[in-house]
Amino acid sequence: MNAPVKTPEERKAELQGMGDSRLRKEDARFIQGKGQYCDDIKLPGMLHMDIVRSPIAHGRIKKINKDPAMAIPGVHAVLTADDLKPLNLHWMPTLAGDVAAVLADEKVHFQMQEVAIVIADDRYIAADAVEAVEVEYEELPVVIDPYKALEPNAPVLREDLAGKTEGAHGARDHHNHIFTWEAGDKSAADAAFANAPVTVSQHMHYPRVHPCPLETCGCVASFDPIKGELTTWMTSQAPHVVRTVVSMLSGVPESKVRIISPDIGGGFGNKVGVYPGYVCAIVSSIVLGRPVKWSEDRVENISTTAFARDYHMDGHLAATEDGKILGLKVDVIADHGAFDACADPTKFPAGLFHICSGSYDIAAAHCSVKGVYTNKAPGGVAYRCSFRVTEAVYLIERMVDVLAQKLNMDKAEIRRKNFIRKEQFPYTSAFGFEYDSGDYHTALEKVLDAVDYKALRAEQEQKRNDPTCPTLMGIGLVTFTEVVGAGPTKMCDILGVGMFDSCEIRIHPTGSAIARMGTITQGQGHQTTYAQIIASELGIPSEVIQVEEGDTSTAPYGLGTYGSRSTPVAGAAIAMAARKIHAKAKKIAAHLLEVSEGDLDWEIDRFKVRGNDEQFKTMADIAFAAYQQPPEGLEPGLEAVHYYDPPNFTYPFGIYLCVVDIDKGTGESSIRRFYALDDCGTRINPMIIDGQIHGGLTEGFAVAMGQQMPFDEQGNLLGNTLMDYFLPTAVETPTWETDHTVTPSPHHPIGAKGVAESPHVGSIPTFTSAVVDAFAHLGVTHIDMPHTSYRIWKKLKEEGVQL
Amino acid sequence: MEVKLDKRYELGVPAQNAWAVLSDLESVASCMPGASLGEKLGDNAYKGSVKVKVGPATAQFGGEVEILSMDVANKSLVLKGKGADKGGSSASMELEATIEEVDGQSILVGLATVIVNGKFAQFGGRMMVQVSDVILKQFVDNFITKAQALGGSEVTHSADTGANESHSETANELNGLAVCWALLKSWFGGLFGKKPAS
Repeated sequence: MNAPVKTPEERKAELQGMGDSRLRKEDARFIQGKGQYCDDIKLPGMLHMDIVRSPIAHGRIKKINKDPAMAIPGVHAVLTADDLKPLNLHWMPTLAGDVAAVLADEKVHFQMQEVAIVIADDRYIAADAVEAVEVEYEELPVVIDPYKALEPNAPVLREDLAGKTEGAHGARDHHNHIFTWEAGDKSAADAAFANAPVTVSQHMHYPRVHPCPLETCGCVASFDPIKGELTTWMTSQAPHVVRTVVSMLSGVPESKVRIISPDIGGGFGNKVGVYPGYVCAIVSSIVLGRPVKWSEDRVENISTTAFARDYHMDGHLAATEDGKILGLKVDVIADHGAFDACADPTKFPAGLFHICSGSYDIAAAHCSVKGVYTNKAPGGVAYRCSFRVTEAVYLIERMVDVLAQKLNMDKAEIRRKNFIRKEQFPYTSAFGFEYDSGDYHTALEKVLDAVDYKALRAEQEQKRNDPTCPTLMGIGLVTFTEVVGAGPTKMCDILGVGMFDSCEIRIHPTGSAIARMGTITQGQGHQTTYAQIIASELGIPSEVIQVEEGDTSTAPYGLGTYGSRSTPVAGAAIAMAARKIHAKAKKIAAHLLEVSEGDLDWEIDRFKVRGNDEQFKTMADIAFAAYQQPPEGLEPGLEAVHYYDPPNFTYPFGIYLCVVDIDKGTGESSIRRFYALDDCGTRINPMIIDGQIHGGLTEGFAVAMGQQMPFDEQGNLLGNTLMDYFLPTAVETPTWETDHTVTPSPHHPIGAKGVAESPHVGSIPTFTSAVVDAFAHLGVTHIDMPHTSYRIWKKLKEEGVQL
Repeated sequence: MEVKLDKRYELGVPAQNAWAVLSDLESVASCMPGASLGEKLGDNAYKGSVKVKVGPATAQFGGEVEILSMDVANKSLVLKGKGADKGGSSASMELEATIEEVDGQSILVGLATVIVNGKFAQFGGRMMVQVSDVILKQFVDNFITKAQALGGSEVTHSADTGANESHSETANELNGLAVCWALLKSWFGGLFGKKPAS
């Protein structure tokens, strides 16, 4: 009996290709506790490393006495900067063109800086030995405020840079000055302001926060002294770049360095950099010839490995009286901490901050970012965002609100008036970005209709007029555009390596496949979604496509996963590699069907002879033939590699609206409604997109409403445990409503733009917009984050709000 | 983290006795719960240590203490102490202590600037003022006992003698449990509108 012939729709559904909400392949192992994280790696003879850290934020090391630690049984080594000096590893280059101390060399520059390491038989002995190392410090004056750092008589933080008037990004005009970076046209912006009928200015601080992934950073370094090979399992979002760096630092040829990023429990930018812990574990393994494990604890993670943000921003808008924006000027003081270890493309010390003209058609714009050293931990990573895009979006969205308030215009109306119109795309901004596609007006109206914006405003008006109302109601609106998918190699590189990404696909004889990628998933679901792209391109069911990433010995070279670059860059590489296979498959199909290629049509999973549905070859048939009897002149096998250099960034956008109710008595806020419409172009897996948006919104909620890394005058970080640092759980998290429009990217092979970071970038200013809106009738134009109940309560008192 | 303390304690002992205890570093140190003096570094300077025990965890601050100046006529002295523990905390304190006499009663007046760095500041910062209050209360109790022992006058103060017994001179560690209990008591006291003990 013949099997029933499946309809094209049935065959398409079986592929679970693009657009299918297929369940995540990763979850089977995660929900059973079978993930393999760095700390799960246990090797025979493995030793453990722990780190002696500075209790003070600025001081000179007078003496280090290792003897009491070395006397503890089970301790193998105690290493300080002096031990690393002969190897020239006591300092290391940073991604931002600066150097950072691996172990403090004569001076400590921030609290909890790495001063010495201890290697011991187990974690407990190592921890005991850390306490036994005696370090004497001479305390030096501490600089926490970046404005004070730039005062003429401010203490000199980086004595190692004495006399260096030229940094990696131009001239340094002060001993604590790192760089000044500008974009846009200053004279055009000045001219726009000089003639403008209306101008507004607002100062705002985007506080220092930490990505705080559930899994902290760590590694297991294993050097084989016989083979001269170094294998390191590492919590890295960019294993290939790390391999290059490790090879450069250690002198071990890159071919003998293998970096493996196993399962990673969240990165959010925190796992992009190379930290002293990694370097020390690797050095220790090379010196001792045994595997060495290092795992940060939570306090170490929040205190020392890559923070984000810490931008002090002054925004200025010039406009007509009816709200048309004429010019934008921004001045930023960027607190980079003790070493400039920002993770940005080399040419952009302030990342892509110059996307700060946002979704608006602004003729003249200029921004200037000044990087400053302070006695804080280094970092400045893109916490669930493209490089400094969160800061940029926050700035412009806040400024547009401030302008609307000044002009007594509605937030939605002023945005409508200034949006880049659909027909203007591709649109080149005053900062030089070429926006690929967008339709902001349609998306805005969709959101306003969905929430009944007019009714909300009417309710707010009524509540403001009712002195007995126990709450203040605020409506936040944000209409953001991101720039992601770094990036075109002509503009973007890291340590000189262009920011392309790669994919290698092999189709096996029986029609299943494996794809290896230069990216690395940290929760994004690459194993699920990448397979869907191949399924749609090649007609192979997602279920039989394996996706492997993270092992530099097997995967093609790629720049890794951050800045929403996986789908825009690696996703394109997949499609392009698949298309190479598709082209070869077509030749084989033509050969098998004894027709010319021009007579073939592709349909879902097969090439068929035009006009004859009975004559076809499926991709599975073709795969077998490729290994059995390829046509003359064609090499056997069916595989392809593609390195994709994107022609441009992608520009996802979204319209977010938030309604907040603030208790006039207690300052407690309740997010009544949060409506998020995202446009990420072509949607690969709607379920995963929803999950990404939920996660991003929750992290945005965390940043806006609670996350903070406060320092006291002595440089103590008062908030490096989860007692203090706000990580929302289901208890605090509001209910999210999601929606979408689809405006594909015209330059991307499948039209996808990337989505995971939009909800973080977009939601943060939305919360602030809502909280400020609750106070807007009192003349308040801005309130700095985080909007904790205490801070809101103080604001209520300040404004004299009566219960 | 910097905390400024401004405290006045009625001692109920003759000012002469109080000054005798205050002006002798060894006597003062023995009043400080958990403190002990070590090697003498100079006329007015010693090595010293303070031991804090909270449950199974013990922290030992080692450092130096020095009398920077002494004004015998006004019964006043300035003292500086600093130290660090091995678990990543350090602390320093500059204290100006004076014995005032008002209507025949002696009062210990203390102005202190305490700077704490490292883990103690990170974890304990928000408790600093309360913990200091409790420790100082224990210190004053011990101080009074010591001054009384010098004799010479009727005791007129109303300090709880039972508590004094529990903080005998030989106490060589700061009892974290007692501190927690005292904190809890004063917190509940605060909740119900009672003024804190000190």
